[in-house]
Amino acid sequence: MTEEKKEPKKSSSKPAGKTLDRRDFLQGLATAPVLGLFGYALKKEIDYQKAQKAAALGTPAVVPEQAELNVALLGAGAQGEVLLNAMLKIPNIRFRAVCDIWTEYNLKKAVNLLKKYKFEVNGYQDYQEMLAKEQGLDAVIIATPDFWHARHTIDCLKAGVNVYCEKEMSNTLEGARSMVLAARETGKLLQIGHQRRSHPRYKHAYEKIIKEAKMMGRMVTVNGQWNRSAAPDLGYPARYAIPADILKKYGFKSMEQFRNWRWYKGLGGGPIVDLGSHQIDIYNWFLDARPKTVMASGGTDYYDKATHEWYDTVMAIYEYETPDGIARAYYKTQTTNGSQGYFENFMGDQGTMVISESEALYSGLMYHETSAPPWDEWVRLGYVSAPKVIMPGEKPEVVLDVRETVSPDEHKIPVVLNDPYHKPHLENFFNAIRGTEKLNCPPEIGYETAVTVLKVNDAIEARRTLNFDPREFEI
Amino acid sequence: MNENKFGRLQMIALVIMRVMIGWHFLYEGVAKFMKPGWSAAGYLSQSKGIFSPIFEWITNNPDILAIVNQMNIWGLIAIGLGLIMGCFTRIAAVAGMLLILLYYVCNPLFVGFYYSIPMEGNYMIVNKNLVELAALFVITVTSTGQFAGLDRILHKLFCKK
Repeated sequence: MTEEKKEPKKSSSKPAGKTLDRRDFLQGLATAPVLGLFGYALKKEIDYQKAQKAAALGTPAVVPEQAELNVALLGAGAQGEVLLNAMLKIPNIRFRAVCDIWTEYNLKKAVNLLKKYKFEVNGYQDYQEMLAKEQGLDAVIIATPDFWHARHTIDCLKAGVNVYCEKEMSNTLEGARSMVLAARETGKLLQIGHQRRSHPRYKHAYEKIIKEAKMMGRMVTVNGQWNRSAAPDLGYPARYAIPADILKKYGFKSMEQFRNWRWYKGLGGGPIVDLGSHQIDIYNWFLDARPKTVMASGGTDYYDKATHEWYDTVMAIYEYETPDGIARAYYKTQTTNGSQGYFENFMGDQGTMVISESEALYSGLMYHETSAPPWDEWVRLGYVSAPKVIMPGEKPEVVLDVRETVSPDEHKIPVVLNDPYHKPHLENFFNAIRGTEKLNCPPEIGYETAVTVLKVNDAIEARRTLNFDPREFEI
Repeated sequence: MNENKFGRLQMIALVIMRVMIGWHFLYEGVAKFMKPGWSAAGYLSQSKGIFSPIFEWITNNPDILAIVNQMNIWGLIAIGLGLIMGCFTRIAAVAGMLLILLYYVCNPLFVGFYYSIPMEGNYMIVNKNLVELAALFVITVTSTGQFAGLDRILHKLFCKK
């Protein structure tokens, strides 16, 4: 301590005890502005967290006075059950009827479930009878095998009922086309069950990340997959078998074929249609384009060809002409190994998006290309989470080659769906009937996807690249 | 007071350190307060070392755990405010040291111990908690509150020299 500094100290403390001078006040409160700064930073932080949360929740659902809708389920198998369980979580739905040709099993199960929820429902084997007897239906939910979709949908629309029809829209393009025309003629609503179209994460990805923020830059390649573990054919309790004449009436050769219709030509479309069309639909949507060409390889490599006419393994490559230029898209489905599940991976010159309907795996990740403009603004708005920097040092035993590109930062797409996957799409359909929303997957879109996907099976058979005529997508 | 042993610049440096530690404590408290459903349970339950039975006991008693959580939150906030404002500085610094010591004995960083809650950086026995603890020791034994802080005013008002 220097002499001159000691002096004032002494003089200020000399009066001793109770007197406070200006200097005491100033120094006593010298650090108080820090609290102001802390408060300001805290407010910023709280606002930021609020924005992140708001973005994660999406736009809050406004629940206006909702008219109760009378609904029937046509096809109460595995998929019908999934839809039923999703619908039971939607308010203002009154179930009136269920129809299924497997009266001893599917039909009983669905009717009993609905009775548990206090719905007085009638069970039918014949959908024509249901349409004739059930007056005042607002909607029919169709989850029958693909080869029945066209007839069921058209008859329901013509009976004046709105239809939610599971994908694949139809196993034939003629069938799908006639469905579009029937919807136009009757003026009734037809929603196709590509439920990702209503998924809040996919909508966020398309509307905010791709369109508004343009975080992907120019999209150049896509790859996606659905891997499913090997599984035995579906069986049935022998005492509940459907009589042969009924099976024949509805187009099935045997109970085995009825249970495993997805594998048969003329009935279903195989895994590329059952699984692939969900995801290839997203290719078309996110790329804002229709494919120009497709080449594909596939076959029944693992299962018995007699009972698995459609291919258990399929790999396809599309060429898209997007508004920004050419993009190439690969898709694979295999039903012999479930590792790595299902996802779509879009790659642009500024970012990469890995997205999946699954909440468990690859549900939504964004990777920032190091050369792209920073995403700070989009992080602040909550479009993506703050990045996790992937350090090369996390694997110390790996010696990085100097030419290797640095790993891009990993962001999360902060949108989570805590509901059954099909619920938002069904809600969209019901709200469209009420006139408060527009259909997210009208038949024209379902048709485009059917054109895109069914050609994969053609390409496998043709063993060459097939072209799409732009007019093929139009009706 | 031994304050005069330090020069002005040295005192300013110490005050800056005190205020920053206070800021850290305050925000640790506020952040836990704002997180709905925050609980120390995760940290306590992975406790290792000789004191781990005590921390496990706390984790397994919801009532005790709730009290510990509240004490932790408000303790952090009070210590943070005290250090920033230089108010009861010595008490705040000692309380802060005790709190950090508790954190450390709960999850001591002895060689061979590992934890499932990841830590950034690389540590061997000494971690940032211990560094902060040592810094609070410095605050405890220097009268920065009487240099710049409410203690200066309190001291003048209530201490008869």
